[in-house]
Amino acid sequence: MIPVLLNGLLVAPAVFALLTAVLARRERLAVATAAAGSLVTFGWSVWLAVEHDGALGEAGSTVDAVWLTALDVHWALGVDGISAPLVLMTTLVFATALLSLFRHAPADAEGGPSRTASLAVLLLVIEAGVLGAFLALDMVLFFVFFEVALIPMWFVINAWGDAYDARARRRAATRFLIFTVTGSAVMLVGFLVVRAEAGTFDIVRVASSYTPSGATALAASVLVALGLAVKTPLWPLHIWLPDAHSKAPTVGSVVLAAVLLKLGTYGFLRFWMPVTSPEWLLVPVVAALAVVGIVYAALACLAQTDLKRLIAYSSVGHMGFVVLGAATFTVGGVQAAVFASVAHGLITGLLFFLAGSIKDRYGTTDLARLKVLYGKVPRLAGVFAFAAMASLGLPGLAGFWGEMLAIRAAVDQAAALPEDTYRWLAFVAALGVILTSAYFLALIRTMLQGGPVTPATEVDSTVELVADTVPAGEPGVVDARGSEWVTWAPLVLLTLVLGVAPGLLLTPVADATASFLVGLG
Amino acid sequence: MTGVAQHIDWQLIAPPVVMACTAVVVLLVDAFAGAPRTRGQALVPAVLTVAGLLAAGGYALGALARDVGGGAVRETFCAGSVLEGPAPCSFAVDRLTLVFWGIVLFGAVVVALLGTAAVAEGRTPQGEWNFLLLCSATGAMVIAASRDLVTLLVALEVVSLPAFAMVGLRRGDRRAAEASVKFFLVSVVSTAVALMGISFLYGASGSVFLTEIDLALSTGSGPREVAVVGALLTVVGLAFKVAAVPFHMWVPDTYVGAPVAVAAYLSVVSKAAGFVGLILVLAHGLPELADAWSPVLAVLAALTMTVGNVLALWQQHAVRLLAWSSVAQAGYMLVPFGAVAAASPEEISAVLSASTGYLAVYAVINLGAFAVAAVVGTRYPAQRLSDYRGLIREEPGAGWALAFALVALAGLPPGVIGLLAKVVVFSSAAGPATWLALVMAVNVAIGLVYYARWLMELFRPAGAVGGSTYDVPNGVGVAIGMTLTAGVVFSVLPGLLLDPVLATLTP
Repeated sequence: MIPVLLNGLLVAPAVFALLTAVLARRERLAVATAAAGSLVTFGWSVWLAVEHDGALGEAGSTVDAVWLTALDVHWALGVDGISAPLVLMTTLVFATALLSLFRHAPADAEGGPSRTASLAVLLLVIEAGVLGAFLALDMVLFFVFFEVALIPMWFVINAWGDAYDARARRRAATRFLIFTVTGSAVMLVGFLVVRAEAGTFDIVRVASSYTPSGATALAASVLVALGLAVKTPLWPLHIWLPDAHSKAPTVGSVVLAAVLLKLGTYGFLRFWMPVTSPEWLLVPVVAALAVVGIVYAALACLAQTDLKRLIAYSSVGHMGFVVLGAATFTVGGVQAAVFASVAHGLITGLLFFLAGSIKDRYGTTDLARLKVLYGKVPRLAGVFAFAAMASLGLPGLAGFWGEMLAIRAAVDQAAALPEDTYRWLAFVAALGVILTSAYFLALIRTMLQGGPVTPATEVDSTVELVADTVPAGEPGVVDARGSEWVTWAPLVLLTLVLGVAPGLLLTPVADATASFLVGLG
Repeated sequence: MTGVAQHIDWQLIAPPVVMACTAVVVLLVDAFAGAPRTRGQALVPAVLTVAGLLAAGGYALGALARDVGGGAVRETFCAGSVLEGPAPCSFAVDRLTLVFWGIVLFGAVVVALLGTAAVAEGRTPQGEWNFLLLCSATGAMVIAASRDLVTLLVALEVVSLPAFAMVGLRRGDRRAAEASVKFFLVSVVSTAVALMGISFLYGASGSVFLTEIDLALSTGSGPREVAVVGALLTVVGLAFKVAAVPFHMWVPDTYVGAPVAVAAYLSVVSKAAGFVGLILVLAHGLPELADAWSPVLAVLAALTMTVGNVLALWQQHAVRLLAWSSVAQAGYMLVPFGAVAAASPEEISAVLSASTGYLAVYAVINLGAFAVAAVVGTRYPAQRLSDYRGLIREEPGAGWALAFALVALAGLPPGVIGLLAKVVVFSSAAGPATWLALVMAVNVAIGLVYYARWLMELFRPAGAVGGSTYDVPNGVGVAIGMTLTAGVVFSVLPGLLLDPVLATLTP
């Protein structure tokens, strides 16, 4: 049963992508097919999550067929408590993204006829690739799926991205592509060195039987970490992210932030931790870089004048918490990492959807021009405030647990790691939480409320400026539509649910970690 | 033991002989048939060529694959009686030979089909052109089977000489004539250098047979330094053929001046001949000297990749870009040579099979790219990258084929076979020469920049939407179909190609 479910989860989006491509001429039908496909995939993933119970090493719980005998590369798929939440989050985010496409077609950046069907096909292909990466248990297979999303994502940014600045859009897309490919090639070299040391590409066998030690193993771990650090991203390799996120279309940003970044964090948990010894200096260095990223991102956010860039930088900060959790080499750390990943996916996905809605209404994401949204579009602004609160870590919402558990794991780190360093890192991370709150509160203050108190005339002129961008003859800017609620509601709901019942996620992760990464402190 | 006639295994030498006979038939038919009056008549030489190649391929596959596929080696043209040890043979067919024969035959068929694009223009004499193609391909077949240095060099010359003529055969094309002369001069120099190296190797080991050279070097019976110099000079001579930096200068001008079909042939079959020469000489004849030639080839590989990729970034001419890209790809293929230093002599063949694997994949996808360049060249001889704008919509068959080829050359899905070929090469270098693997990783990223730029042009909206304005000759269409189908099939089932080719690769 499980093997069918595993293979089917990859086949479903691929089949629907093909179907959508065939129907591309009839655009409404094609996009509807794609949306239906994403819902089918979501349902399938729920079924898989419910059905799977065995640990990865047990027979019948995985798919394992030889794909390339010459190199001993296997088509090996499996799911456990670490990957299942990410798989569910992925299929949900893609379902909401494709549903939003169905209701509202994004404009073609080159000004040509709308090709929403092609965009839908690309998104389904990316979904298949990402799901494959989350399910892959063979290092080379993971690498192949890691790469599947790249060319389609490059097309998405290039062809449907920011229509106003073609050069910047192309540069953002190419920078994304080059950075990610370099990172993944370096990661592949690391995997090959690991194989030379451990004798196999199968990560389950590596995790259970390989004890990394020696200079070559350290080099391999460094290479793998470098590659994943570009994707996650880890400061200072985050340079590609702000441009790519802000120049991409709404669905592109959602997919990039909510899903593609998780490939990097999942890679740290599944493929980097088993090949790394906590006794190496590399581990505290990674943790330190993560914390630097948290603070740096928060400071960068305080200086941002563009909404989407601000949300992009906030992603860098959140990923810092995830990597900090992973670098503590404890079960609590892994729990924090997975929880923070899922929470970030839901919340930042929601934030980018909202940013997209704002951009559709006002034609801009420039914070200097967006003011008093509570007054203009109260419901939209209300949901935005909710998302911002969730992202800054308000207790009771999902974001809180990710940050708190990561800090707690850092305080309580593995025995082999230097205690004082990690206490300091935890302290700085906590400061980062305060800074995160600062910029989100500032954002709410300026964008939703109207900024610092100013003379009445100035406030009026700001309102005038915003209203100017509404085309003449239009009934004025509309508040949140029903179709948008359909997109936001699942994300809002899950943020609430995970905020009050984190155990739903934490328990399976703990069980999976215990069986996959044996001997973790 | 006088009066003993040399035993010739006709079955074994049948494929090259069939091709040589076909060459003569094509030339004679063309001579006696006179000027072609219809388009169909003009295609007769190409048809005969393809038929001959298919016959040779069918024979090799049917009769020889059974024996040799299991790992056996069949030999002929062996030296006279030898009192001790096995007689050294000049012509041997083993798995490596069959793989290269496959590459050569596939490449030659595709190039023959691409050559039909020149029929409409009428400036290239078809009979002579196909005759030259078959002669050159025959040389490529023989070099894959040669096991002594003299046969190897003669075969290499048989590959090159007709190629000079093929480059310049277009009537009234001054650029082609110039390219032909440049190519000729460089080749002559390289042959001279290789001959010098071979003479040193003969002097140091007392034999031209590769197995005997290996024996002499392993027992240490000759002066090793002389052998090292000979080895390096031979490598240099072959490096010209393979277009490794700094022996690559002839490539851009020759590829651009020659007709696109000939450029395709040079970039795939001629390069393959050079590579098989390198593999045979270094793995069969000189494994003892690996600590001398391996570092040199490692540096050559790093230089070739980097120079090829960096210079391709500046190109606006499609064929020149493909020329520099093929230089860079040759660099990737040289990486396993640089990674053998730690391997024992027995393991060297296994490591070099990674190079063979990459070559096989490269042959398929590079021919695909050139095939589409041939189509676009019929309408835009200037071959600017901007001329490819909107190809996906104007001519979807060609556009998608080129898109797939570019993505596979770059090494990304959906060109999974290109990605796996790179994994194979990375795998050979990652332990013994990790620095080289990292250089290659960076180069893959650099290469992606120009492939992506070209890819973007294909998908841009063009002027006229819908309705093909390209008159794609049937032969070229078949060639595009062949390469695209092979590429896609191997991407889904990479084992079909890589498992037989890498059969000797052990982890």
